[in-house]
Amino acid sequence: MTQLLVFNITNGLIIGTFYVLMALGLSLILNLSNVINFAHGGFLVIGGYIAYTITPYVGFWGALLIAPPLTAVIGLAVERVLIRPLYGRDPLYSLLLTFGLAFIIEDGTRFIWGAQGKPVTIPAFLAQPLSYEFFFITGYRLFMVAVVLFIVALLFLLLRYTRLGIRIRAGTLDLETVSALGVNVRTLRSLNFAVGIYLAGLSGVLAAGQLGLEPTMGAGVLMPSFIAIIVGGVGSLTGTLLGGLLIGVASGLAAVFLPAASEAIMYVLMAVVLLIRPRGLLGEEGMMT
Amino acid sequence: MATTVAHHLFDRRTVLKGAAAASALQVASPFIIAARGETPIRIGMVDPFTGVYAAVAQNELIGAKLAVEQINAKGGVLGRPIELLVEDSANDVGTGVQKTRKLIERDQVSFIVGDVNSGIAQAIAQVTAEKKVLHVVSGGHTDSITGKDCKWNVYRVCNTTRMEANSVTDLLFSKYGKKWHFITPDYAFGHTLYDACAANLKKLGGTITGNELTPLGTSDFSAYLIKARAANPDVLLLLPQGSDMVNCLKQIVQFGINKQIHVAGTQQELESLESLPPEARIGIWMFEWYWKQPNTPHLAEFVADVRKRTNGKVPTARTWFGFTSVHTYALVANREKTLDAQKLAQALGDFELPPEIKLQPNKVYYRKGDHQLMTSAFVGEAQSKGSDPEDLFQVNEIVAGDKTAPPVADTGCTLQWPA
Repeated sequence: MTQLLVFNITNGLIIGTFYVLMALGLSLILNLSNVINFAHGGFLVIGGYIAYTITPYVGFWGALLIAPPLTAVIGLAVERVLIRPLYGRDPLYSLLLTFGLAFIIEDGTRFIWGAQGKPVTIPAFLAQPLSYEFFFITGYRLFMVAVVLFIVALLFLLLRYTRLGIRIRAGTLDLETVSALGVNVRTLRSLNFAVGIYLAGLSGVLAAGQLGLEPTMGAGVLMPSFIAIIVGGVGSLTGTLLGGLLIGVASGLAAVFLPAASEAIMYVLMAVVLLIRPRGLLGEEGMMT
Repeated sequence: MATTVAHHLFDRRTVLKGAAAASALQVASPFIIAARGETPIRIGMVDPFTGVYAAVAQNELIGAKLAVEQINAKGGVLGRPIELLVEDSANDVGTGVQKTRKLIERDQVSFIVGDVNSGIAQAIAQVTAEKKVLHVVSGGHTDSITGKDCKWNVYRVCNTTRMEANSVTDLLFSKYGKKWHFITPDYAFGHTLYDACAANLKKLGGTITGNELTPLGTSDFSAYLIKARAANPDVLLLLPQGSDMVNCLKQIVQFGINKQIHVAGTQQELESLESLPPEARIGIWMFEWYWKQPNTPHLAEFVADVRKRTNGKVPTARTWFGFTSVHTYALVANREKTLDAQKLAQALGDFELPPEIKLQPNKVYYRKGDHQLMTSAFVGEAQSKGSDPEDLFQVNEIVAGDKTAPPVADTGCTLQWPA
């Protein structure tokens, strides 16, 4: 039993890192632009399919490098054409827009690539467990965790030490003042959106290696990512990080003791956190730490 | 240039509301595919063209459309051409019911085909029975449709879960061992399939080390696989379908579990095997129909006809389901020279499919007692590659439907005909 527990906690942390990657992108966009991006799962799918399409030419590693920025470019176009005109309006407009966009992306991928799932093969040396005992820790999953850690570190450094990052953080606190100080808020939002979508695209490439690539795959990870944000606290990227890991572990543990509740446990966790700390674990309105 | 700055209008509550809306995302009904014309005999198809079963539903539609073309080319039904009206159930029971009502009440269809999802198939059978419309369930497998909830107007083309279980359990027991662990999708189809397998295993004297109930749409199976391996069974039986099956098999192979435990299951589909990388196409399964059979009359023409319409893709069991469902209606209506639902439903009892429709070696007929099609099980092994890029299954045995189906008395079906 102890072994089962340790295994599932470790496994939950691995799953959690994936939620973190998705949730960070969502969180960035939400914090600065007040857009609840329902199409985030859609961008994950786009990232995965782009990777699938270019893999025959550039290989898995090439796809890992190229697909996320390409997804970000698509995201940038979407932001410029569809989302930007809605910034001044009630946030429900952008919510509805991205909600509709999620359907359009799902059907669009089905139209372009077909409804049937696509096989994505990962390099053979990654597709193996590290040891007989710890069979669930495969090279690929470790690689995924490493990529997420690297990206998270990079993101935090970017936000803390670069001009863009400092402006994003400042904008999160008070966009009006930042704008008054001469910062081009439109560009800032676009870049921030692109970074968020880049993370979704990267999640898509990583997910395609482990899961089946098909048009609906984004829907399954969207909810846990939203829950990660809420549990961690809206406005706090560290909170999002913590929230992602926490729900990963919680659903892993539920699978041992109460398998039917492995999905519901995330919502229970969210409810409990909200009851005790209504702003989420590390949430402070308008703060990005 | 003026810059518009939005205030921080989002608080926790808005995010929560948004999150609630996100869960609705999976059940909302997005669009309708409809083919309208001016032809008089209308038949309706309700299938989940969006959602996790979109790929298999799409193949049912390809088969149904081919059947419509063939029927119309030969003079239609009672000399009138038929027209296929297609509705998307979006893999949601409420939507499926609503679309079926619309097809019957507004579009006046005289025949309904669908749904892939067992739960929706069951629900729309209630509607077709109430409206007295002949209905063929093309791809929903749960037992009760031709079991305890059977209806005078409802026939089924695909296998029951019990037939699926009966076709492979003996083989798995003798070849792989007697300790079984299950991964079961947590809804009607999974439950009845598990019950059937468990009952057979018990009869054979085997033991169950555990049953992992997984929600429909599970993407990460690692937690369940950790439990399954800890139980140390001889066989790990995978009962999920669609993308769940793909995710589960892909992870099993990456974890190397297939090198320690035999991995197998009951129903497997070409759509799933094609979505898997070659190394994950493993295990003993049953197919409900397969495009490669030696010396089956008319099979080559059917495969060629489908390939012409699908950029070279071969028909799957689902294509054949759609094809057979529509042809069934035309065949029986032309034979009986009527469109009266009750007369047609009665005539379909023990109705045998001709070779150009059944496309398999054994006798294939609708059983009178429970309205279940006695169709074969194609038992064999998945293969990473075969003689054709789409030849991913090695058929070892084609078992006749009346050998896998339990006797009518055991199905729990009692047909109540309208007075």
